[in-house]
Amino acid sequence: MTGGAASAAHGLGQRGPVQAMPIVAMALVVLLFGVFLWVLHRSEREEETLTLIKDVLWVEQNLHFQLTSDEEKLQYLAESLGREDTTPVNYSVMARHIVTVNPAIQRVVRLDPQGRPVRSEPPVDDGPALDDAFGPSPRADAFLIARSSGRRAYSAPYRLGAADTAFEIVIPIFRGDQFAGALAGVLSIDALLTHHVPWWFAQRYQLEVIDPYGAVLGTKSRIAMPEPRRSHVVPFDPPGHGLTLVATLHQLSGNLGRNILIAAIFALTVSALWSLWAVRRHIARRIRAEEALRAEHAFRKAMEDSLTVGMRARDLDGRIIYVNPAFCRMVGWSAEELVGAGPVMPYWLPEDLVHTEEVFRAVLAGNAPANGFELRFRRANGERFDALIYEAPLIDAKGRHTGWMGSVLDITERKRAEELARQQQERLQQTARLITMGEMASTLAHELNQPLSAIASYCTGCLNRLQAGSIRPDELATALEKLSGQAKRAGQIIRRIHDFVRKSEPNVAPCCLSEVLEDCVALMEADARQQGVKLVLEIGRGLPAVMADRILLQQVVVNLMRNGIEAMASTRRDRRRLSVTVQAMDGAVLTRIQDRGCGISPENAEKLFSPFFTTKTEGMGMGLNICRSIIEHHQGRLWFEPAADGGTVFLFSLPVLCDPSMTGAADSHDERAADV
Amino acid sequence: MCEPKLHIVDDDEAIRDALGWLFQSRNVPVASWPSAEAFLADYDPAMAGCLLLDIRMEGMSGLELFDRLSAMGCRMPVLFLTGHGDVPIAVSALKKGARDFVEKPFNDNDLVDRVIEALAFDAGERARQAGQAGVAARLATLTQRERQVMGLVVAGKLNKVIADELGISMRTVEVHRAHVFEKMGVKTAVELARILAAVG
Repeated sequence: MTGGAASAAHGLGQRGPVQAMPIVAMALVVLLFGVFLWVLHRSEREEETLTLIKDVLWVEQNLHFQLTSDEEKLQYLAESLGREDTTPVNYSVMARHIVTVNPAIQRVVRLDPQGRPVRSEPPVDDGPALDDAFGPSPRADAFLIARSSGRRAYSAPYRLGAADTAFEIVIPIFRGDQFAGALAGVLSIDALLTHHVPWWFAQRYQLEVIDPYGAVLGTKSRIAMPEPRRSHVVPFDPPGHGLTLVATLHQLSGNLGRNILIAAIFALTVSALWSLWAVRRHIARRIRAEEALRAEHAFRKAMEDSLTVGMRARDLDGRIIYVNPAFCRMVGWSAEELVGAGPVMPYWLPEDLVHTEEVFRAVLAGNAPANGFELRFRRANGERFDALIYEAPLIDAKGRHTGWMGSVLDITERKRAEELARQQQERLQQTARLITMGEMASTLAHELNQPLSAIASYCTGCLNRLQAGSIRPDELATALEKLSGQAKRAGQIIRRIHDFVRKSEPNVAPCCLSEVLEDCVALMEADARQQGVKLVLEIGRGLPAVMADRILLQQVVVNLMRNGIEAMASTRRDRRRLSVTVQAMDGAVLTRIQDRGCGISPENAEKLFSPFFTTKTEGMGMGLNICRSIIEHHQGRLWFEPAADGGTVFLFSLPVLCDPSMTGAADSHDERAADV
Repeated sequence: MCEPKLHIVDDDEAIRDALGWLFQSRNVPVASWPSAEAFLADYDPAMAGCLLLDIRMEGMSGLELFDRLSAMGCRMPVLFLTGHGDVPIAVSALKKGARDFVEKPFNDNDLVDRVIEALAFDAGERARQAGQAGVAARLATLTQRERQVMGLVVAGKLNKVIADELGISMRTVEVHRAHVFEKMGVKTAVELARILAAVG
């Protein structure tokens, strides 16, 4: 792993090898690619070098071959000069022919045995001649060698004109065995190179002829090349004299393709790296997003888990798909047990399945009341509790409706508190009533005590006197008059009470008993629910109206219903049922309030309606007594009977109002359960 | 000293009249007042007998009147007439030293009996107080020697022992003792001890 990759991997931290791998791979690819290029480059160089050497050798050989053929031609001419039959004319023709045909041979010079030029072909004026004025010339050296060896000799190169260099082949001429001078062929290096180095070589290499001192004597394809290049040097022999052939490789355009390739690969690498980086950035963004999502999820989960409100999500079929811990705590079943459960849910009340099922179906149909509704549920331990439920459609991320989300509040405590408050309020009112009644009773007792005490005193006084026999009739009469006066006084007090009571005479008006009963059932619903009592109201058809004080009648019904509910305190919970029925019966309207309580014992039955008799610890013993007074005030009758299935039924009848136009339109017959 | 009688304070005229009629039938002397204020205006420390007060009255209540009288040092026994619900008040009055209370409507002759008892108690108390005043006067008539003898007699010592202690003859002791009994107006040593104890 490279340092960069390592640091990158380190930078990725916990993102680990998965993240580092591509970078390492990329780095390795680049590295290997570099190595590959380098190896390729080297092998190419080697091959180039080999080719160079081969080519140079070939060129050298070619030149050698050329020179050899030039030698042979000159040799032939020299030999022809050695023969007698060769005329100067012939010679000129032959020499000119040689010069013409062989472009490298500039001229042919005939030397006498002392080495002096005799004839030159072409003539000397035509071109630059070798100047012999300056010391021993290269020709002279070569001449001497040729003369002494009797074989051809090459001269050292010399300047030919301004820009050319030439060397000479000196071939001795023998006539018989007689040395008869020499033939010198002047070869221009430039011409040699120009005519005998092929074009393809010139295209690839620059060929130079260099003397031992490094001076360039001739060149082919001279191109200025700035940087040092590879070249190969072979000795140029013949002509020898330390001449060398130097072939230098041009920077070939053949590299362009490869450079393009390298550039392309480099560009690709860069783009791959860039895309890798982009991918990394993208992944980093993804990771950040995932972390944010996780954090958000954790936060939401924490929120859901810390809620005291129970959350319950159901799919469109009503199966539970999610519950939060608060809901589990509320019902006492674990999330595993609840999720996937469909109707019937474990927390439904077995005794109230029908109603719960109805509510459930209403929710699934989307008819759940927007401001919530109340249901009773049970916990795993069998305890019942009141729940306030709000249902809302569950919409997924795509905006599809996938189910229902319900928030469930345990309002048992609240209801209990409300109930307690209500009871306290009632008790307070009762106490207030009691106090008022107590006050009244006390005042009344005190008021009546006075005349009664006086009466008793007069009476006893009279008796005492009669027993002692010491009373005169007129005294007795006076006392008795006073006594009767006190009796009158007591009577007046009683009348005053009557007047007081008459002030609150019932406010009688035609009224529809079914409405009164409905109001009462509505009033008692909360009480009944708290006691687990099912209220059933049945209203007979064609119920006539009655003349009554609504408020007083309501008080009677509520009182009887409350007694019925309280009587069922020890009844099995699922049997607690209070039915209120009303029907018309020959000129009267009969109302029955039937409980399934413990019934009324015979000894209590006798005293039930007497004032101040009560079976309750906190009762005043006025309820039934007052109820009966009220009903009797309405010319009705209140009584009770033991019910068929245990318990008691209280009945009261009220006379029908004679005016048929006042008949209530309550001819509906509905039966509803108030235990929801 | 006024004649001992029953003092009725009640704001109800019929009650006053009827009670008067009742008590006269049993020969109990009665005087009555329509209010506590009226009674206080007429109050005299020399009054004797007992009081019958109605607890509930217009103006000053019976209980308040009772407190006032107690503060003034009235020693007459007090009975309360209570109506409905006044029993707790009456009980607190009893704790303060009232003699009794009677609930209306009352058993009349029972009430009369209780009043007669209270009158007798009052008379007894008065007699006792009067007696105490007499004892002091009689003690002043005793001689030094007679006092000594009386002290030993009351201590329950026999004549012989007394004679030895005082260094006098038995006969002399008997004479002194007879003098003491005569002067103190008692017949026995026990009686003497009782009246001396009453004086303290």
